[in-house]
Amino acid sequence: MDISARQKIIDDLLPKKFGAKGRIWALALVIICIIGMVAYYRQLSRGLIVTDMRDYASWGIYISNFVFFVAISLVGSLITAVLRLVNVNWSTPLTRIAEIIAVSAITFASLIIIVDMGRPDRFYNLFIHGRLQSPILWDVIVITTYFFISLLLLYLPLLPDFEIMLKAKQGSGKFLGSLYAFLGSFWKNTPQQKKISRRSIRILSITIIPVAFAIHTVTSWLFATTYRPGWDSTNFGAYFISGAFLVGAGAVLVAMYIFRYMYDLEKYITLKHFDRMGKIVVLLAFVYLYFNLNEFLVPAFKMKKTDADHLLGLFTGEFARVFWFAIITSMFLPILILTTRKGRKPVPALIAGALVVVGSWFKRYVIVTPTLLHPFLPMHDVPESYKHYFPSWEEWAIAMGSLAGMLLIITLFARIFPIIPIQETITEIEEHERA
Amino acid sequence: MKELKCSALTCVFIFLATGISLAQVEKNKLILGLGYYNDNNQLQYLKANTKAKIDGKFKPVAGIELRFYISSESPNHLLGTAKTDDKGQAALMIPSNAKDEWNKSPKQTFLAVTDSSSLYVAVTTSIDLTKARIKLDTATDKKIMATLVEQKESIWVPVKGVDMKIAVKRLGGDLNVNETPTFTTDSLGIASADFKQLNLPGDSVGNLILIASVEDNDFYGNLTVERTVPWGTATSYSSPFNNRSLFARAGRPPFWLLWMASGITLSVWMVIFYLFFQIRKLKKLGVQV
Repeated sequence: MDISARQKIIDDLLPKKFGAKGRIWALALVIICIIGMVAYYRQLSRGLIVTDMRDYASWGIYISNFVFFVAISLVGSLITAVLRLVNVNWSTPLTRIAEIIAVSAITFASLIIIVDMGRPDRFYNLFIHGRLQSPILWDVIVITTYFFISLLLLYLPLLPDFEIMLKAKQGSGKFLGSLYAFLGSFWKNTPQQKKISRRSIRILSITIIPVAFAIHTVTSWLFATTYRPGWDSTNFGAYFISGAFLVGAGAVLVAMYIFRYMYDLEKYITLKHFDRMGKIVVLLAFVYLYFNLNEFLVPAFKMKKTDADHLLGLFTGEFARVFWFAIITSMFLPILILTTRKGRKPVPALIAGALVVVGSWFKRYVIVTPTLLHPFLPMHDVPESYKHYFPSWEEWAIAMGSLAGMLLIITLFARIFPIIPIQETITEIEEHERA
Repeated sequence: MKELKCSALTCVFIFLATGISLAQVEKNKLILGLGYYNDNNQLQYLKANTKAKIDGKFKPVAGIELRFYISSESPNHLLGTAKTDDKGQAALMIPSNAKDEWNKSPKQTFLAVTDSSSLYVAVTTSIDLTKARIKLDTATDKKIMATLVEQKESIWVPVKGVDMKIAVKRLGGDLNVNETPTFTTDSLGIASADFKQLNLPGDSVGNLILIASVEDNDFYGNLTVERTVPWGTATSYSSPFNNRSLFARAGRPPFWLLWMASGITLSVWMVIFYLFFQIRKLKKLGVQV
């Protein structure tokens, strides 16, 4: 590769300052986060009574949001680790997008679980007095572990890019220059450094897969180890993991389109990428659909008395609208759109990805809350408000604030660091040319 | 025309004012019950319960202030005050300063009084009772004799024809001593029962607690007396509290879980630390260049 072609790639992929749209987008996210923080302040000062959660629906959209964040974070292991280990090279431009989605999602998964606690000041008790027998403690351990592994998997492939960014210094002020120097000035691209880095990334790619499976399996066990209609399932681990890969892949489709459009990356995130990611989403949607059939149709065929209220509530009752909306938008419509070649073009793929993400968020709500409102023992002598759940404005504000916070981390990351690995892209093109 | 308007406005005002005042007058009726309790011929207390028809159903009323009196409703005879809880109940121990009034007569009257509030009208309820006590004895062959006596002037005389319950105190409630649920006192005031609960677990030396009671009696209220007898089998309770199990407290997980979970976590974190070490190595290599 000649120097000018190499320089062109570097210029294309270096982080760029926000334009007007970028500034408006970031400002909107900051405002939503501030509203969320105000709502959380109200919750802290007045207690969980500001939410609509009561004795029965004690897990509402905070926990739905938590499960959603954990699910979406799994994309890091899918794109970065699984595809890397099977030598799928086309996914290189998508690895960093997937990893930053994973890191930001897992960060907010940890935060939202604290938000769900009535007394966050007692959070440290979980570490001091935590019971190893409780899946909640397993979740704390595995989330912390996954966070660090994802962070390392984001950081190590960035090292060669720091050298490029420090040389270019383009678009970076004093602060960014110091940040790049602090994080990666030691990278000199020596053969020994490259060897250690390659080996470390490979070790991480192997390690992250069981940890990723563990994180979502343990999250599913928070439910499955509890004897309740709708949760009492041996299928839950696999059901959750398949759903997690689907929502993560859907999120990557959306992010691919937005970064491609905003940063003029058409040469790097090509139609081929949309086509292949689209096919992956279709495959994952079918797998998730299969697990859904098992999860709902098998108990529905038997209609045990204890399950009947819960299932009928989902199919035709109080939760029918949100249930069918979630099923149709997260699985059926994306499959319909993405099975055709035309549907795997950028715009339809963006729509399909967005449908997957939105549908999957509601799917988590459908998994968490309706079960709590259908306990084995009938609800007697309780206020009417205990029998229903609709989130209060504080809950909506906090949940939306956390989603905006996750998007803000991704947005700021893309402003500071290259969203497509520069050195890896150059190396791959060089190898391709040599071949 | 102007006068007509004034008259119409006055009529509307009077109509609304009447409506409002009528609405204010309409208050719910509070049902107030009162009971006398005597435990072991020692502890004496009064218990009141309140109910009202709310949304078509009788429900307990919490937060009602009650005043309890002995003999009559006068400040000198005030025993104390109490407020009803969520179950609509309020209890008051009969204080020692009521002793003189209590000793005046073998028959007594107790009153519970509520004041009028914005929701409920004032209510007064009373109970008349005769002082009585139960004596619980046992004989050979595990025979139980509960004697009910009442005070007449200054002497205690047996009471005939009163239903009494004789049972064994257990954790979940009282267990009848035999198949007969209640026993009636004879002319000597004695209710006799044979203890037929064999091999009943007792405390560490085999003690059981017998209980004899008169419940909701119109003349005597609620009387209860207990007696410990060595008729059970000795039972030593070993607590599983310190055992390691899936349901144990923090710090007592089963060893297999402890080793497995710690092993997995430790091995993954060793990889993470190894990678941090590799980053340090990369830094050193960079500095050398």
